[in-house]
Amino acid sequence: MRRAALLLLAFGLSASEASAQLRFPGIIPRRPAQPPQQQLVGIDALRAEFVAQSGSAIVYFGGDSAVLSPGAKATLDAQARWLRQHPAVVVQIEGHADPSDTRDHALAVGARRAQEVRDYLILLGIPAAQLTVVSWGKERVAVMGASDAALALNRRVETVLVR
Amino acid sequence: MTSRLAHILSLLMFAAVPAAAQRPVTVVAVPPLTTPDDRKTSAGSTAAIAWQATQLIVSDLRSTELVPTRPDQKDFYSYPEVTAPTYSRWRSAGAGALLTGFVRAQPDGRLAVGCYVYDVKAGRALGRIGFVVAPEDWRRAAHKCSDLVYSKVIGAPGGMFDTRIAYIAQNGTGRARVKRVAVMDNDGENHRYLTAGDSLVLTPRQSPGGERVAFVSFLGGQPHVMLADAASGEQRALVPNGAISFAPRFSADGQRIAFSMMLGANSDIYLAAASGGAVQRLTQAPGVDTSPSFSPDGSRIVFESDRSGSQQLYIMNTDGSGQRRLSFGGARYAAPEWSPDGEWIAFTRRGPDGLRIGVIKPDGTGERLLTDGSGDEGASWAPSASTLLFQRTDTAGRSTLWRVALSGGPPRRVTTPQDASDPDWSGTAE
Repeated sequence: MRRAALLLLAFGLSASEASAQLRFPGIIPRRPAQPPQQQLVGIDALRAEFVAQSGSAIVYFGGDSAVLSPGAKATLDAQARWLRQHPAVVVQIEGHADPSDTRDHALAVGARRAQEVRDYLILLGIPAAQLTVVSWGKERVAVMGASDAALALNRRVETVLVR
Repeated sequence: MTSRLAHILSLLMFAAVPAAAQRPVTVVAVPPLTTPDDRKTSAGSTAAIAWQATQLIVSDLRSTELVPTRPDQKDFYSYPEVTAPTYSRWRSAGAGALLTGFVRAQPDGRLAVGCYVYDVKAGRALGRIGFVVAPEDWRRAAHKCSDLVYSKVIGAPGGMFDTRIAYIAQNGTGRARVKRVAVMDNDGENHRYLTAGDSLVLTPRQSPGGERVAFVSFLGGQPHVMLADAASGEQRALVPNGAISFAPRFSADGQRIAFSMMLGANSDIYLAAASGGAVQRLTQAPGVDTSPSFSPDGSRIVFESDRSGSQQLYIMNTDGSGQRRLSFGGARYAAPEWSPDGEWIAFTRRGPDGLRIGVIKPDGTGERLLTDGSGDEGASWAPSASTLLFQRTDTAGRSTLWRVALSGGPPRRVTTPQDASDPDWSGTAE
């Protein structure tokens, strides 16, 4: 809901910028920076669209937990809506643990988180054939550091479009 | 003079490190190995090799709780005295133990090396070892002599010096990080890579003689257990079913491998023959059961499970029966490894101060921490059961290998060519 409001706000801004340029034709309009997704093709374009429409390709978890929070479920609801509209797309669900975990346990926790996301997406009607699961354990750290905030940003599942 | 210095040193060690005083300090006399006939070999003269080997043995023993005498070329003894030492001479020199030995050129150009260990006080032989090697392999023969002294005097079940370390060598950082399985001798010699770095690899575990290495590979996308031949580098998947599998460990006889496999969101412990074939499931509990490690007699397995709500250590029989919780220390306990003498279980403790290495007896008593870092994990025992290797990770995510003695004292850095993690210490095949 809030995401939709933000999108409207963004449209509103660009509309007012456009009208501002119309009202002051003497000023040479600065060429607006190209939004990156306009240059993207193929899988990169799809990925950008997926993130824009779903709000995020990433959901986060509590310490040692694979339980989906209400916020994570909302993100996955949006991901599922997009995936249902793109049945040819295959995604890899990549589970991660934070670096305070131990090596073996991190692999299992990453797999549990990825499995939890997969099960939830299937519950929302995404065919299993569209979903693969992998665990990276603590091998692909997103944010370095031992602070609670840094650790929390590593306890995650990324939904990655593979084709 | 030398022995008086050693005496003073041993007294100082008693005074300074009371925690290390669990065993009495033993002064080991290490007079130069002798040679019956100084002959040239492809690695130098036998007298020169004997002297170098003596210095290497002393350097090995200095890294332990034993106190070797400083080698002195004037301390020579005759070839017949190798097997018939004059005990009174070494007793008056203050030694509790004596190492004698010889280096002899064989007619075929190889070296015969023999070592003998004596209890000087009791005036009796403790053990001997001998082999014929290429002259260039004299270092390995010297390490074997060090192992003989160490195991006979301390009563250790296996060696410490003629041993091999497998670990993960790391280049680069972040997503550009390349990880390879590397193996090297305990002293850093004979370093080589078993994998090419084209896929992420983790947790190498050697068979007891080091002939095979099990590890986790992400080749093809999913983490799964691979088995590599250490000599040829040839690899195969342990369980070719496409499931996520990890945390492999050999049994002490090298015949079996315990490991974890995911079924849905559940990780359980399984058993497979190292030669392949069907797998046997050992745990059924919901949650994460992982990091299995065999007892040296192969009858039991220690592992970690979060079935109680947090990671704790458990012990079960090797058929999966009799599962009971071992750790109750109020923190999370992970990555157990059973010591080769069966006396201790090393673990990684996840507490408020981060990851630290500790030990606990298999009956749940005697728990204590051995390190005070914040990123110490993955303990692996020397075959001697007296020392542990572990990895220490700094806040920037870079890791190095360290060793720490079971008897206490500060950890010491192990030199590796690159950043290093996931150490595994094993013996070598004869």
